[in-house]
Amino acid sequence: MARKTPVSPKTATPDDVPFWRRNRREIQFLVLFVVLLGGGFTLISLNWVNDHVIEPFTSGIAGASGTVLGAIGQPVIREGTILRNARFAVNIRNGCNGVEAMLIFLAAVLAFPASWKSRLAGLGLGILAIQAVNLVRVVALFLTGVYFPRIFDTSHTVIWQTIVILFGVMLWIFWANRFAAPAEPA
Amino acid sequence: MATGKTAAAEKEKAPARSWPLLLIRNALLWLIPVAFLWTVFAPVYNRFLLGSAQNLVRLTEYPSVTDILRKDDHFAYISRRDFPPSRTLVNSFRVTDVHFHLLMIGVLFLSVPGVPWRRRLENLGWAVLITIFFDIFLIFFYVKATYAARLGAWSLAHYGAFARNFWGLGQHLLDLPFKFSLPFLLWIGFYYQDLTAAIRPKAPARPAPTAGS
Repeated sequence: MARKTPVSPKTATPDDVPFWRRNRREIQFLVLFVVLLGGGFTLISLNWVNDHVIEPFTSGIAGASGTVLGAIGQPVIREGTILRNARFAVNIRNGCNGVEAMLIFLAAVLAFPASWKSRLAGLGLGILAIQAVNLVRVVALFLTGVYFPRIFDTSHTVIWQTIVILFGVMLWIFWANRFAAPAEPA
Repeated sequence: MATGKTAAAEKEKAPARSWPLLLIRNALLWLIPVAFLWTVFAPVYNRFLLGSAQNLVRLTEYPSVTDILRKDDHFAYISRRDFPPSRTLVNSFRVTDVHFHLLMIGVLFLSVPGVPWRRRLENLGWAVLITIFFDIFLIFFYVKATYAARLGAWSLAHYGAFARNFWGLGQHLLDLPFKFSLPFLLWIGFYYQDLTAAIRPKAPARPAPTAGS
C-alpha cells in the first residue's frame, strides 16, 4: 500500500497537484468552447433555423458581394444565394458564408474569462471584421473563377478557408490581449 | 543581486508584452513554408488517409464491401462492391479538403514566441498525431453518412431514423465546426498558459472583472 505523505501547500510542486486541477482553466475553457460550438452548429443545422435565418443571411451576403462586384466593374445577376455572370457562377453555401468562423469566434469569446462588456464589444467588432474578410473572400473567389478557373478549387478550399479561420484566431488573440482581463489564479 | 533580478525580470517581461504581435508576425512568416510542405506531402498523406479510413470502415461491416478509391491527387471515390457494376461508385469527396487544417496547425504551433524549439516541435508532433486520428474518423463519418442518408431507398431500407440522424449530424459537426476549429482547440490546449501569462501583465491596470467573468 502506498504510504500517504502529507504535503504542505507551501512546499507542493506542480507535479503534486492533480492534472485536472493544475489545468483547470484550460479544461474549463476547452469544455465550454466545445459545448458552445457544438450547440451553435447543431442549432444552425436545424431545418427551421437554416431556412429562416441562415438562408436569408447568406442571400444578404450574396447581395453585398454582388454590389461590390458591380462597383468594381463586374456586374452579376443574383438569384438567392447564387451569383453569376456570362463567364462564371458561384453558389454561396454553408461553409462559405462566414457563419462557421463567426460561431468559432463567438464560442471562443464566450468561453474565455472576461467581463460581459468586453465580450459584447469583442463579439460586435469581431463579427463585423469576420464578415468583412468573408466579403473580400467571396468577391476574390468569384474573380478567381472568372479569370483563373484552374485554381478556383484550391483557392476555395485551402487558401481562403485558411485565411478566414486564421484571421478569426488572430482576432481572438488580439481581443484576449487587448480587452479581456483573465482573473489571477486563486 | 537585486539589479540582476530586475534585469532578468525586465528581460522576461519584454517579450511578454508583445507576445500576440510576435505570434501574428511569426504566423505570417510561417504561412508560406508550411503551405509548401503541406502541398508536397499532401499526395502521400492522401494515400495513407484513404487506406486507414478504408480499413476502419471495413472493421464495421461484414462482408467487407467498401473501397475508398483514389481518383487523382485530390479526389476519392466511395465504392461498394455489392452494388450493380454501374452503381458501385456511390459518392466522391475532395481528400485535401479533409486535412487542410494541418496547414493551420503547422502555422499556429510553429509561431508561438518565447517557447523553446524542442517544446514547440514536441507539441506540434502531438497535435499532428491527434489530427491524423481526427482525419481518419472524418473520412469514416463521410462514408457512413453517405450510406445512411445519401443513397435514397437503399439508405432508408438499411438505416433507421436514429442512425441516419446520428451519422448525418456527426458528419456535419466533424466536417464543419470541429474540422475548422481543431487547430485552435489544439493550440489553446497546449498554449493556454503561455497566452494567459503573456496577457496577464496588463490585468492589474484594469478594473477587476465584473460578474460573469
